[in-house]
Amino acid sequence: MRKKAFVKPWVFGIAAGSIFVLAEAVFPISPPSAYAFCLSCHVRDLVNTVLNAAFSARYQVTEVAERALLLTSPGVLLGAFIAARLHGEHKARKADRAILSAVVGFLVMIIGILIFGCPTRIVLRAGYGEFYGIAALAGMFAGIAASTILMRLRIRMGWGGR
Amino acid sequence: MNPALLSLVFLLIGLVVGFLAQRSRMCFVAGFRDWILVRDTELLTGLFAFLATVWVLTSVLGSLGMLHRGVPVYGHAAAELGTVPWGSLPTGVGRFFWSSLGGGFLVGVFSVIAGGCVMRQHVLCAQGDRNALLYLAGFYGAVAVYYGLLSRFFGWVYG
Repeated sequence: MRKKAFVKPWVFGIAAGSIFVLAEAVFPISPPSAYAFCLSCHVRDLVNTVLNAAFSARYQVTEVAERALLLTSPGVLLGAFIAARLHGEHKARKADRAILSAVVGFLVMIIGILIFGCPTRIVLRAGYGEFYGIAALAGMFAGIAASTILMRLRIRMGWGGR
Repeated sequence: MNPALLSLVFLLIGLVVGFLAQRSRMCFVAGFRDWILVRDTELLTGLFAFLATVWVLTSVLGSLGMLHRGVPVYGHAAAELGTVPWGSLPTGVGRFFWSSLGGGFLVGVFSVIAGGCVMRQHVLCAQGDRNALLYLAGFYGAVAVYYGLLSRFFGWVYG
């Protein structure tokens, strides 16, 4: 068995942060600022570009999406797939909470469209010093804290199944 | 810039970040969750390293004039941001501030329920997790549902 070569999370943070900011400085992706990476917004733009082309609809896309296809989400899937294959970490896991997962994904996307950000871009926008990004980050921390504490309470009290 | 080339840039950003995210098991939600649950700081360090890197680089590049740092423009909603103060709140804090705060709260709650942020779900899906695959199905499907059915009900978020 191959030895696991983990990348430390802080290395990921520095690498990803540098990539996102430098990409925006070097390439013309600026009109929505802090837009080098966002899975909600890029998926929104990608799907809407396809819908607009297929059904000649006129759904909202950002200015970059009129100049390019935002293939970030397929890119992440592909990159993670390559990494998992190279290190023997690809294994099928059964869908034991199928409906819950789909509903949660649906809701996260709706909110992501409304407030312009998946968790990654919320942090990215906060790093840009953008006021609404910092507000969303504060809200996200509060939401994580509330649901985690509730989850721990539920486990300790023995409410619910599992 | 050539559209195909710019698309390739986005694909490459995704590839590199996806690769690194799989190797580091990075998640922007699980860091704070793990810290609350078991005081494990490893993933939280990643989040703050990311935040600090972005902050420093944008400050430096922005002051060098290499980066466009103004009021962000988000498509067609930009014109409406923060124009109407809400009730007796201090002027300048528009309704989108409260939408961001509340929306961020809900993103946090739902991401903890799902077990990871959106990027982490992409990575899990690529590793063969069927729950994450269904998460992404809901995620992609929501775009069409939102713009086909729901968008007319959410104007108040920016108002």
